[in-house]
Amino acid sequence: MKLRIKVDPDLCIGAASCVTIAPETFQLNDENKAVVFDHGTEPTPRTYERVIEVSEDEKENILLGAQSCPTLAIFIYDEDGNQLFPEL
Amino acid sequence: MRYLIVGGGIAGTTAAEELRKIDPNGSIVLISEEQNRLYSRVLLPHYINGKVERERCFLKKESWYEQQKIEAHFGVTVSKLDVKNHFVATSDGREHEYDKLLIATGGEVKTHDEDCRGISYLRTLDDADHLLQLLGESPSSVGIVGAGFIAIEYINIFADRGLKAELFTRTGRFFSRSLDQDSSDLIKERVERDGIVVSNNPPRLQEYAIVGIGMGVAPDLSWIKEAGVETRAGILANDFLETNVPNVYTAGDVAEYFDLFAKRHLIVGNWMNAMTQGRIVAKTMAGERTRFELVSSYATNVRGMEIIFVGDTDREKAERIIRRGSKGEGGITQLFVRAGRVVGATLVNRNSERAEVTKLIREKIDL
Repeated sequence: MKLRIKVDPDLCIGAASCVTIAPETFQLNDENKAVVFDHGTEPTPRTYERVIEVSEDEKENILLGAQSCPTLAIFIYDEDGNQLFPEL
Repeated sequence: MRYLIVGGGIAGTTAAEELRKIDPNGSIVLISEEQNRLYSRVLLPHYINGKVERERCFLKKESWYEQQKIEAHFGVTVSKLDVKNHFVATSDGREHEYDKLLIATGGEVKTHDEDCRGISYLRTLDDADHLLQLLGESPSSVGIVGAGFIAIEYINIFADRGLKAELFTRTGRFFSRSLDQDSSDLIKERVERDGIVVSNNPPRLQEYAIVGIGMGVAPDLSWIKEAGVETRAGILANDFLETNVPNVYTAGDVAEYFDLFAKRHLIVGNWMNAMTQGRIVAKTMAGERTRFELVSSYATNVRGMEIIFVGDTDREKAERIIRRGSKGEGGITQLFVRAGRVVGATLVNRNSERAEVTKLIREKIDL
């Protein structure tokens, strides 16, 4: 399945809990903000938003990473554009 | 199994959530001093500066506790723990028995002796509401006491509004337990450019319409000590977050746990640490004994300058400190070394080294 993953850099404070939980998907850039990776690779350009293909297990871990963010700066959407996290 | 969790913050609530995943049928009781359901303290500055609405600070819906079959008691404190008979007595006159007890009560904010209307703390959602009210009264003069993480938040909040605060620090240094004078000077010079005046005179609180207090936190250990649970500055625990008393565990800001990277007991007061400890201790409580292993870090930003702490950043405990960068270059990294290994680091305006130093600590690389 595909997920759209978005980081709001205005909310991100670089706490890095997402990086600890899901390092294949989240890494910090030089501004100390989380950017979205695709399975550990960094497609250019660096970006705060990306659509990636994930397995069910990967999806669960990415959701856990998003849930761990103390400023709720990570938004996850499914293929149909429904917001999976934060829950509305 | 009857699980009892004292503390409804991120450590306690994460533990409750994880316990429910592992044990669908066990009884989980959560006792929280807070009147509010779980919210993010880290979001409070964003709430104060209007980036998020108050409702967005909450991390769980009101219905979540019931859905998870977690019996939550808000606005309740513990008055007594009896480890022989396995129960705690609470301020609402009840007693709760347990098979496994988690103490995740966090830290209490250190208060200033003087009490005047404009005194502000930044620990709880109520504190944030109070500060917003004071800010709404067009304050003419503002002060800050302290020079740590909370002081940085006040600097940003006041400077965003064009208020020129006077900041009082006894030591004359920002983050004096961790930073050297030059690192502190970088922060000082940055905030002075925005009109903050840094002073090491005793503060005169009455002169200010608002005084933000950031003097640190310390846990209330009274009922814990009385019960025979071993404590120092926090509750002593091993690397499994087990205390000296069987079936009593601890996690979060109140835990003084044995850190496998620092190889000494640490109290770590940050979000990542509290949440991860909550998750790990739940496994151990449910019978999957699991070591807590995390190089935790914390970052803050003062007027656009990043300040990052990784691992054990107590200067006094370091055998050697390696310094990279300088005041002239505008950024300084300190690497704290013990027994030939890096155990911690501070980075002021040198973000790009964060991944490298975290790896040095995590992989226990000999220098």
